[in-house]
Amino acid sequence: MSLPTSVAGFTVLPIAYGSASTHYIYARPHAGSKKQSPAQTLPDGRTLFLVNVPPDATDRELVLLFKSAGTVEKVVFDFEAQEAQPEDSDEEEEEEEDAAEAAADEPAGEAQPRKRRKLNKPTPPTVVPLPTKPLRRLRPTGRAAHLVFLDASSLARALAPQPKPRPWPASEEPVGLAHYAAQYAALRPPLDVVRAHADSAMELFEFELKQTKKASRFRKGEAVVDEDGFTLVTRGGAYGQTLGGGVAVASKQFQETGETRTRKKKAPQQKPGFYAFQKAEKQRNNLLELKKNWELDKAKVEKLKASRRFKPY
Amino acid sequence: MALNLKRKHDGAAEPRKVARVPQSHTVSEPEESENGDDEEWGGIVPPVQDRTAVPPESSAPGTRPKKPPTGEELRVINDAKDLFRSSTFKLQVDALLPNIRPKTSRIPSLDRFLQELHGVLMDLAPVAPQHPLDAARKLIKRGISVPYSLPQPSEDTNWKVAFERPSDITLVGSWPNKISVKGKDGSKFGVDLAIEMPSNLFQEKDYLNGRFFHKRSFYLATLAAGVRSSNLSVEVYYESASNDPRLTKLVLEPRKASDESPNDFTKLNARVCIIPVLSADSPIPLHRLSPSHSNIRISGDSDSAPVATPLYNSALLTALMPKTQLLSTFALKEHTPSFGDALALLRVWANQRGYGDGTRVCVRGFDSLGPWWAALLGLLVFGEEPKGKGARRKPLGRGLSSYQLFRAALDFLSRHSFEQDAAFHKAKNGHRFSPEEYKDHHQAVFVESSSTVNLLAGIPLGSLQLLQHDARKTLEKLNGANVGSDPFVDVFLKEQRDLPTRFDTIIRVDISSAKPRSPSLHSTLDIGSPANDLIASMAALLQQGLRDRAKAITILHHSSSTRPLSQALPTDPSQALRLVDHGPTADENDTTIGEHKAELRRFKDGRIIENERSQVPAMIDGGFDEVVRLPETISRVYTASGAVVGFKGAMLAFDGLVKQLKALNDELPLSLATVSPISEYLRYTSVFSPVPLSDSLAPSLPQNARYQPSMEMILQFEKSAKWPDDLRAIQKIKLAFFERVASALMTAVDGLKATVVVGDGVSTSDIQDNSRLEIVTPEGWAFSAHIWHDREATLLERLISGKNTLPHINVPTEKKKGKEHQEGMDAKELYMRRFIHAPRHHRAVTALNHRFAAYSSTVRLVKRWLASHWVMHGHVSEEAVEILCASFFVGDGRDLNWDPENHTAERASVPGSKERGFATVVEFLKDWKWEDGLFVPLYGDQSNEASSTQPSMATGFRAGVWRLTTEADSEGHIWTMRGPDVMVAQRIRALAKATWTCLQGMEEGKLDVKSIFIHPTDDYDFLVRMDPAVLPRYAQNIESSLAAAGRYVNLPRDDLETDPRPGFDPARLLYDDLQRMYADTFKIFCDPFGGDRFGAVWDPTLKQPRSFRVLGGFSSMPVKKVKEKEKDKGLVVLNEASILREVERLGSGLVSGITVQV
Repeated sequence: MSLPTSVAGFTVLPIAYGSASTHYIYARPHAGSKKQSPAQTLPDGRTLFLVNVPPDATDRELVLLFKSAGTVEKVVFDFEAQEAQPEDSDEEEEEEEDAAEAAADEPAGEAQPRKRRKLNKPTPPTVVPLPTKPLRRLRPTGRAAHLVFLDASSLARALAPQPKPRPWPASEEPVGLAHYAAQYAALRPPLDVVRAHADSAMELFEFELKQTKKASRFRKGEAVVDEDGFTLVTRGGAYGQTLGGGVAVASKQFQETGETRTRKKKAPQQKPGFYAFQKAEKQRNNLLELKKNWELDKAKVEKLKASRRFKPY
Repeated sequence: MALNLKRKHDGAAEPRKVARVPQSHTVSEPEESENGDDEEWGGIVPPVQDRTAVPPESSAPGTRPKKPPTGEELRVINDAKDLFRSSTFKLQVDALLPNIRPKTSRIPSLDRFLQELHGVLMDLAPVAPQHPLDAARKLIKRGISVPYSLPQPSEDTNWKVAFERPSDITLVGSWPNKISVKGKDGSKFGVDLAIEMPSNLFQEKDYLNGRFFHKRSFYLATLAAGVRSSNLSVEVYYESASNDPRLTKLVLEPRKASDESPNDFTKLNARVCIIPVLSADSPIPLHRLSPSHSNIRISGDSDSAPVATPLYNSALLTALMPKTQLLSTFALKEHTPSFGDALALLRVWANQRGYGDGTRVCVRGFDSLGPWWAALLGLLVFGEEPKGKGARRKPLGRGLSSYQLFRAALDFLSRHSFEQDAAFHKAKNGHRFSPEEYKDHHQAVFVESSSTVNLLAGIPLGSLQLLQHDARKTLEKLNGANVGSDPFVDVFLKEQRDLPTRFDTIIRVDISSAKPRSPSLHSTLDIGSPANDLIASMAALLQQGLRDRAKAITILHHSSSTRPLSQALPTDPSQALRLVDHGPTADENDTTIGEHKAELRRFKDGRIIENERSQVPAMIDGGFDEVVRLPETISRVYTASGAVVGFKGAMLAFDGLVKQLKALNDELPLSLATVSPISEYLRYTSVFSPVPLSDSLAPSLPQNARYQPSMEMILQFEKSAKWPDDLRAIQKIKLAFFERVASALMTAVDGLKATVVVGDGVSTSDIQDNSRLEIVTPEGWAFSAHIWHDREATLLERLISGKNTLPHINVPTEKKKGKEHQEGMDAKELYMRRFIHAPRHHRAVTALNHRFAAYSSTVRLVKRWLASHWVMHGHVSEEAVEILCASFFVGDGRDLNWDPENHTAERASVPGSKERGFATVVEFLKDWKWEDGLFVPLYGDQSNEASSTQPSMATGFRAGVWRLTTEADSEGHIWTMRGPDVMVAQRIRALAKATWTCLQGMEEGKLDVKSIFIHPTDDYDFLVRMDPAVLPRYAQNIESSLAAAGRYVNLPRDDLETDPRPGFDPARLLYDDLQRMYADTFKIFCDPFGGDRFGAVWDPTLKQPRSFRVLGGFSSMPVKKVKEKEKDKGLVVLNEASILREVERLGSGLVSGITVQV
């Protein structure tokens, strides 16, 4: 009659919340998927995959929790995982996990794409950051995290069964009322900082704009020709022609609806009621239509009648 | 027979036609003529039977019938379309009519009974003339009292009462004409039996001093004795129409016979009423009974001028009426084929509105006014006197359909001014008494064709005004432009007697112990009973006091009921409800009303309910007002400080701020184009009127009353090409703008504080409009401003649709939608709501507030109600409530753009008081099928073009089920995107039902307003309690007396000496966080207005063990193995204890405890 020590391949780590209640974190060594690029942010062998992390957990708290197992290099929360993964998929669990992990890795890998691209460029202006206070990020409950240890041996120690639940550590970030008060203050930085931040951010933006313009091989109004000598037909030239002119490009309207511009229709050759039979047919159709509607109405009222709607009291 | 013939004819004709159709085109012509033949032939059938004459069509509904309709069918179809509102309406009317008529199969037993009764009555033994009191004493020994009316006969009367065999017995009223209509609340069909008293029982002078009525009473009592001693299996009762003892009749109700006797008519649900009538050749002179004659002499005042007794005279004349009435109705029925159906429609309509009998309170004066409805239709068909220039209405003639006749009747009711104009039925030989005579002595005049009686004698004018009001309301519905809604249900099927949605003000009076202000013996004798006299005098007093400030002052009470034979006089109604319907604004406080109020207060157990419009100060009964007010201790602080508070103050502050902002133009790179408010505080619809919180005020307020609402507005700068074409950069530019505005504003205005808020604390998106400018004016009003840049919409649209630079290459849309896409969707949704819809909504609501006086207070009440039941904010948005409430004011939106000066445009169905508005909304929510949606023409017609150009909202996941469409929002989910979801919507429906029951208690005088706003918490799985001392809005709690007067007012006020934090509400923040974090774990509810508890319900599916998944989305624990050997299935279950602990941790400092309810 004991709790199982593992569930679906995950080791169950009980965490004591005070004396009364126990929270459960599910842990497993992280297994990187094959399609992952070699430059992994989550190295195999020393990364622990955690599920059901407390929603208000901070990096520091997780580090403290696994202090006994070893030194933690970094903590990655996968709060984006859900968007990438439809929740109701009935896939095998293993696959799902992989996907989840992969999804978790993705944003981590592209965390600062802009900065990295700039590394070899000259003098990018730096953005003055807005002051940050240590604040908790409250994430949806039942989410996962990756823990990267410094040392591979820590992994085994972290997964070893515990004699009794570990207590949940508390870091210095405020909780509850204090958290909200701190958040309120943090959202209202001094005006000069805001100004510096905004100005520097704009500088960076303009710098980047210049860089991309410079980098672009294409000039405004010139045809786009690739290395094989093919000219790209794209919208943007004058008179509905391609860039650089020469060939007409399908209009936007045509692309979206598949219809060319509607010219005014010519008046029909014949009057609709030219022949007597047309007139008669029209009349007959009208009558049929009338009767059809009448029958429909009748059926509707019959249906209402069946539900005893016509007893006023 | 005609029916059979017809079928045969059709059967023969159809095969021929089928054969002919495909031949050639030329055949069509003769076919047409054949149809024409059919039409002529069909004309022979009397139109009443037409609806049954449609041959049953075998083809399934919806499929196109193969054969063209026959001429007969065509005629029916065209009739239905032309003579009724629509063919559906006609079919519905046809379906309705059989349900309100007596069942023909049960009638024979009644006929047998009537024959037997006839025999019994004709065989009654005569009673010799004797002194009235002696006669009464003899009868009382047999357990029957004689219902002598006032003035009672005394010992020294010198005339005698006697009984002789009736000279004639006739079936009268609606029964013999077969126009009976079922009554409300299962009341029985009345079969009226007129018993003609022999003329030799009466003398010429019998019209004086009620002698006729005494003789009639004795006659009736003797009949009662005779019927009771016979072997008929009936119960015999007395009943007095309008509780007037002079109009007492005998009611025979069938006893359930044990043996199957052939004349047991229990199943027919009918009762036989015996009415003694006077024969046409009676010695009583009719000219003595004109309205101006005085026929009651009171000893002692013989020297003074005689006072006319119009009601007495008309009661006497009633005894002459039944037979002539029968004949004229019969003639009408023969003359106009649709009369029977029209009358049935009219009476169903009237019954549904309480003009008739019923167990609930009914409109005074209408409980025995059956003949009037028929006479009303007669007046319309035949026209009225005098002919010529005086008559404004032309006779309608006989050709109308039942629906047209019904409408004509409503039209008459809605236009005819009963107060000023008398209506005289067209009579053969002119009328007996002059119109002036009627007008001088009766409130309303409607004289029927035999010119005997004024049918409206004694009917209070207020009842007729209400009738007029109801007729207007119904016509509005029938004329309604929106074809989508079906008015049939509202007009005929739905009961409309509910007080709270019908009346603006309800006063409840206990009349058992009330006394009239100026008792007059004469009027009592004229009216017939002291209670009726009292009611009449009260009606007159109110009418006089309110004059034209009220549209209708109506008295409602329970209708007259049967009483045992031993009881001579009718029991007086113990209470009457008098209702003031829709009072327009009062300009002065009338002294009469003041006195009247004092008088009302004197009533012993004071059952008085008043929900008077606030402009009539003498009549306000609190309750509903209290719930949208701050507690007194708090409001006293504001009053003492002399600060300008309320909506007016907020508006002034806003206008001032706009001026200051506009003055900054030189210091900003772009000049400010418009500033639009989007806050409920600036459109009169916030629950509490806004209050400023200045530095000087703050210390005098307790910590938990220092909430400072932050009023949102939108800044729009002039267009410029300099904005960056990038979403992230736009957000940064906005920051720069805010900084510039903030510093400029602070230097320009002394004491003003402005801060840039760089996020909302939740969203991490850098393309969403998160930043705002927070401004606190020197007076303590807080505003927060957003910047609207219209380029954002295009950029977001581009981001969402994922258009690459080569738009003509169609990328398969199956591509996984990444995080960026989701972010874009969210940002766009916010953008649309905040910058496109909110300002327009704000303008529309402000306009409504100016147009309809009760609108904003209705919204405030409804918001308070929803909030106090913990669904506001978290599940229902403010704007959704505003739209919902607006639907009862704007109607079909046709008159929204009318000139506001034009008061005649006011529709009858617009609630005039917030209580009625509230009740209307609750009644609507009680049975709203939200799947059908609700269209509210909030903006009038002018914004139609906007809807077409609007890009549609991104249709992402949405939880809300309510659909509130407007012209600008055809999807109807702008304001109900996030809720209420199905569960909450059902909860609201249940709450509305409970509240409605509560409101119905008004009828019985048991309405406790506060109880409507107290939320039951038993069905929550757990409750999170919070410490009221740290809640800045606690003063707004519904049980606010506790907040202010209780423990917390005297707390040391310098414990948390912080600057005022506009818009800071930690409970709300915690609630939002919990709702977001545990969205799939539990549903959480709270009262945003100072609620000190959260209630939550677990998702029931999570309590079942389920297999472990990585992205389970809830905090779980492994399931214990039952047996050691059992295979590990990897099941997990919700870890409730740890979640509760987490909630407690998240709310530490706020949460004082969690109660788990089983």
